[in-house]
Amino acid sequence: MSGLSMATAAPGRYISWGVLQISVTNATIIGVMILVFILALVVPFPTHDDESDEQGHR
Amino acid sequence: MTTRADHASPEETVDPTNWTNKLRGRIEGLVPKGQALPARQPVYVASWIYVFGVLTLASLVVVVASGCVLAMGGVAWWHVSSLGHFFNSIHLWSVEMTFGFMVIHLWGKFWMAAWRGKRALTWMSGIMLFGISIGTSFTGFLSQSNFDSQWIGGQAKDGLNSIGAGAFFNVLNPGQMLMWHIVLLPLAVGALTLVHIILVRRHGVVPPLDAELEG
Repeated sequence: MSGLSMATAAPGRYISWGVLQISVTNATIIGVMILVFILALVVPFPTHDDESDEQGHR
Repeated sequence: MTTRADHASPEETVDPTNWTNKLRGRIEGLVPKGQALPARQPVYVASWIYVFGVLTLASLVVVVASGCVLAMGGVAWWHVSSLGHFFNSIHLWSVEMTFGFMVIHLWGKFWMAAWRGKRALTWMSGIMLFGISIGTSFTGFLSQSNFDSQWIGGQAKDGLNSIGAGAFFNVLNPGQMLMWHIVLLPLAVGALTLVHIILVRRHGVVPPLDAELEG
């Protein structure tokens, strides 16, 4: 994309809610981050149960 | 043949007034013995939420490496070269990944109150690192050498001038912003990252809230 076409490109799409305004791209990124955070909490971590020692180390 | 050990007298290695001995003692005492790069971790660390700190660090390595390649080509390289554009994109997207992982790491540590157990400095160094990283990325957006960076500089100048920072930090000066972006701020980020990691290794990974209550 050339500098001229970037300068004349159409503005991004925005979500407006009262005084709040956010671009669809940023809202999507935040949504994906929250999803990854929740998945990190609930998805089990691959482990080998027989590897932990008496002190609870792996 | 003689070795260095042959020449080292006991006095030389324990003399407390010798600044080399003092410095070595300081460095050796930064983290408990064997905790600099431990191969085993407490069982509660087996969770995906504990992975985001090292993911942040790994993507930061890509940021610095791609930034070094861009430094060789120059600030306008990516406008005229497909290779330069490729490394510019690597630099941008590794920054996006760094911030994404860093924020999820921050959420995880906030909700497990990671400042518990004398870890306040670890928490504070992480927050400072987050703030300085934002400044580093902003000066990067000012160094794009295009209309976007010009517009961002025009928008930022009033806010910075209103707090007096414009006297020594001029966002309309692309050369100054580039130097902040590739020298001063990366040095600060690197130093604080080192402090943060040493503090994590010094105090260990924070246990989950329920694990501490049970203990």
